[in-house]
Amino acid sequence: MNASCAAADSAVDITLHHRITQFLYREARLLDGECWDDWLALMADDIHYWMPMPENRRRADSMKAYEAGRGALFDDGLLDLSRRVARFKQPSAWAEDPPTRHVHVVSGVEAFHAAAGEYIVHSTFVNYRSRGERDNDSLVGRRQDLLRVHANDFQLARRTIYITQSVLLAKNLNTFL
Amino acid sequence: MTARMADFHTSWIEAPKLERLMDLENGRMSRLVFQHGGLYEQELERIFARCWLFVAHDSQIPKAGDYITTYMGQDNVIIVRQKDGSVKGFLNSCPHRGNKVCFADAGNARQFICNYHGWSFAIDGRLKGMHASEAFDSTGFDPAGHGLHPVAQIDSYRGLIFATLDPHAPPLAEYLGDMRYYLDAVFDMDGEGTEFVGGCVKSVIRCNWKLAAENFVGDALHAGWTHDSGARAMVGEGVGELHKNPQQSYQVNFNGHGWEFNQDIIGNCASLGDKELVKYLYALQPHVAGRLDEFRSRMIGSISSCTLFPNTSFLPGQNTFRTWHPRGPQEIEVHIWTFVNKSAPPDIKERWRKGSMLTFSPSGVFEMDDGENWEYATRTNEGYLTRQQDLYIGLGGNTRVYDTGLPGNVHQGQVNEANQRAFYQRWLDLMGSASWAEVPQRDVPAEASV
Amino acid sequence: MSQSVLEINKNDLSPEGVSRFESALGPIAVYELDGAYYATQDGCTHARASLSEGEILDGELIECPVHGGTFHIPSGRAVGFPCKTPLRTYKVSDAGATLRIDLECEAAAACVRGETHVHGA
Repeated sequence: MNASCAAADSAVDITLHHRITQFLYREARLLDGECWDDWLALMADDIHYWMPMPENRRRADSMKAYEAGRGALFDDGLLDLSRRVARFKQPSAWAEDPPTRHVHVVSGVEAFHAAAGEYIVHSTFVNYRSRGERDNDSLVGRRQDLLRVHANDFQLARRTIYITQSVLLAKNLNTFL
Repeated sequence: MTARMADFHTSWIEAPKLERLMDLENGRMSRLVFQHGGLYEQELERIFARCWLFVAHDSQIPKAGDYITTYMGQDNVIIVRQKDGSVKGFLNSCPHRGNKVCFADAGNARQFICNYHGWSFAIDGRLKGMHASEAFDSTGFDPAGHGLHPVAQIDSYRGLIFATLDPHAPPLAEYLGDMRYYLDAVFDMDGEGTEFVGGCVKSVIRCNWKLAAENFVGDALHAGWTHDSGARAMVGEGVGELHKNPQQSYQVNFNGHGWEFNQDIIGNCASLGDKELVKYLYALQPHVAGRLDEFRSRMIGSISSCTLFPNTSFLPGQNTFRTWHPRGPQEIEVHIWTFVNKSAPPDIKERWRKGSMLTFSPSGVFEMDDGENWEYATRTNEGYLTRQQDLYIGLGGNTRVYDTGLPGNVHQGQVNEANQRAFYQRWLDLMGSASWAEVPQRDVPAEASV
Repeated sequence: MSQSVLEINKNDLSPEGVSRFESALGPIAVYELDGAYYATQDGCTHARASLSEGEILDGELIECPVHGGTFHIPSGRAVGFPCKTPLRTYKVSDAGATLRIDLECEAAAACVRGETHVHGA
């Protein structure tokens, strides 16, 4: 897990923090509601959306649990994300019919100034999915985002998602995190 | 959720007679093979403790001391490169009180030390020493008898390392038999072999292992229906109607291993939606034709799938390679890797790493729809009456072709269930045999595949 | 040559950097680090192990091959878990083609350390 912590004095002020938090909450609500196109519109053209699968490695190992270029459930640019969305919208996506019930809980939001008009944002999440009678899956993790001012709002330019499970305890991952 | 004997009440009931489980000639089989706890325990003994199981790719452990941990059935094992370049495998359990010895998925070690009493094992499994070793001196303790328990045999083919827990298993070459001829089409395209790129993606599917294995051994049929959404998302149209051109595709099987494939060279690869990968394969195909033969050169990335009996499968073209580790009759742990030609340019390797995970991983646009099929094909059998019904496995019952010059049992048309029937025939043969000596020799390697 | 001096041929030293020799006091580990020579007891002070079968790390530590504990070669000081008790060291004199190891005298670095040791060869 990325332990780099920006200095406290580069933290954004309370108004900006509120706006950034509201952006993340709205993003979560779009995903809960399967509003895929609206969610995709929040991605910048140069988005890198990355969720590495952690490996169990000893502390002394030079390779760490989360490494670029290893196994990942998302390692996506915009085209890859839009292909995933394209599948979600297909009537023949049988694993989406009947629909899954999603809740994305977002918390622990910290936001820091980066380059002009960009912000490094940390957050934690709990994701619940329930399907059919008793198919319940949950995932917990952290996210580190690079948000960029766009129009009167923000766009997501980078997201790294750190989940805790090294074996995904679910048959699929039919949402974004 | 780990399955235990007590969770499955049917395990208290004597396992059903094996001969009543399969009527393959008539295309019928019993659902109990996906549900019965007693049969599962018997599988651990007669399938997983006996067959050659995939454990690692050469490329994962290049240097002395490099190791990975994996499973053979439900036995956790350490696979480690030796100083002389050979590979050894051991049960990952301390012979003192049984604790797991190595908790990492991979790494490099000069020794493996148990956290409980500091028993230290060399990379060749020998017990090197213990914490407070003087305490053992007075008991006349001889370390020689207390090393890590080695797997019975370990060997490799084209970089794929297999191991078996049965000292009486036939050699790997004989076990793979005629499949080696076909494996060369993907794992020996240019003489430099393959490597795994990136890491391992692991997930759980709550299904019986055989549903996944049989799907990859011969189920081309499901692609057009299950994966319609994935195909439309990746390439803008549904899966091709494979059944309309049976003369262009085949199912081949040998002692339970099975490969269903088209001759379209790039069909699977095209589903990754990356023109560079298709170009790469088209450019490679004539060289493979010259080196192996035209027929195999058309398999290198075609619409196809393969299972090596019992539980390792791969998809050429999408380059996903996986083992379905059994965790009880109703659960598997899937370990997924991506393979590429060692000689491929770094950019091509990276495109395959990302493309295979975009399509065939738990978040993969194709794989996402498989899990539910298999979970519920397993779960419906909790029903008392449901599990007493037969299942159909009779597609393509009259498609066997002879005199093709190809090794193995060859069937025309990949939309077929011939490979599935052969898979269950092998399963039945092994389940009914107390030792390898009793296992029927249905398929014998042809000379050509040596 | 008295029993208290072990004379060894440099040609007999292993290219790995550490070699084991028998002496009147038991096995001795002899090290070559960047052209300088050192000697300690061969037995690890933690548990039964031969340090000459271990690896030299960071240019000056010997890692025990059994539990991975480390000692500082010039002074014998225990550095890494689980090692606690220092190694007995021996003064080494470079005589050109040979080394003379004084079995009665500690290395200079060990004397600076100022601890007493428990001889556990």
